[in-house]
Amino acid sequence: MAKSKAGLLQGTLDMLILKALSLGALHGYGIGQRIAQISGDALKIEEGSLYPGLYRLEQRGWVQSEWDVSDNNQKAKFYKLTRAGRKQLILEERNWERLAGATMKALRAS
Amino acid sequence: MGAARGRDHEGAARELSVRTMSRIRATINSIRARLHHDEIAREVETELRLHVEMRTRANIEAGMTPDEAQRAALQSFGDFDNVKASCCEIRRSLPFDSTPLRMGLHIAIAALAGAAALWTVNTPHHSLSSLLSQLGFVAVLTCLFVIARRNQKPHRQ
Repeated sequence: MAKSKAGLLQGTLDMLILKALSLGALHGYGIGQRIAQISGDALKIEEGSLYPGLYRLEQRGWVQSEWDVSDNNQKAKFYKLTRAGRKQLILEERNWERLAGATMKALRAS
Repeated sequence: MGAARGRDHEGAARELSVRTMSRIRATINSIRARLHHDEIAREVETELRLHVEMRTRANIEAGMTPDEAQRAALQSFGDFDNVKASCCEIRRSLPFDSTPLRMGLHIAIAALAGAAALWTVNTPHHSLSSLLSQLGFVAVLTCLFVIARRNQKPHRQ
């Protein structure tokens, strides 16, 4: 049976990128792969939209990038989480849990 | 309790310094992106093309023909040019609200142009060239002011 993929809510992509990078440095393609992997391939993300998100996060100082050589010996830009980014991820996870909890509570109300 | 408060202060100071450093780094990157626009655009394009290449390779490994693989890679990437333009725009933008800074710059240029105009009017001119050079100075400042104002207007699509 084909799995239907859920679209992303506004603002969640940044959090998912931070989460993917919390597991180690990756290039853009790898980040997309990791998000697919950790979400069980359930989220629909247009791959190109990762990059403006990454650049925004770098601008805010939450990720850092540098060019390095990838596994297949190709030059690639790798991103890693900064200390400020790690703190931001914790903050966003807490906010997300609160929001999801409140939404579920509202939906279950009879 | 005093020790705990000291640790809190230390933690807050460390966090402030980390945040300040990342802002400074982002500001330097933004200035670099403004000065080396073409280089940044090339760098962004290289990065995005690499993504499409990696996806194409993965599609081929999954059994697609090279043509199909590339078409599918471009499709799953989305609007390449639009993504590239967004990335370049973000690289150029400053990591803080630059409105007060720009406003200050405009006021300074306007004041300088006004002062230069007054100076030109009130200075006795012994030769045409000195008058022309002063008028030229006023014109340059006025142009700078106009350019700065034009850049400040938001782009509408």
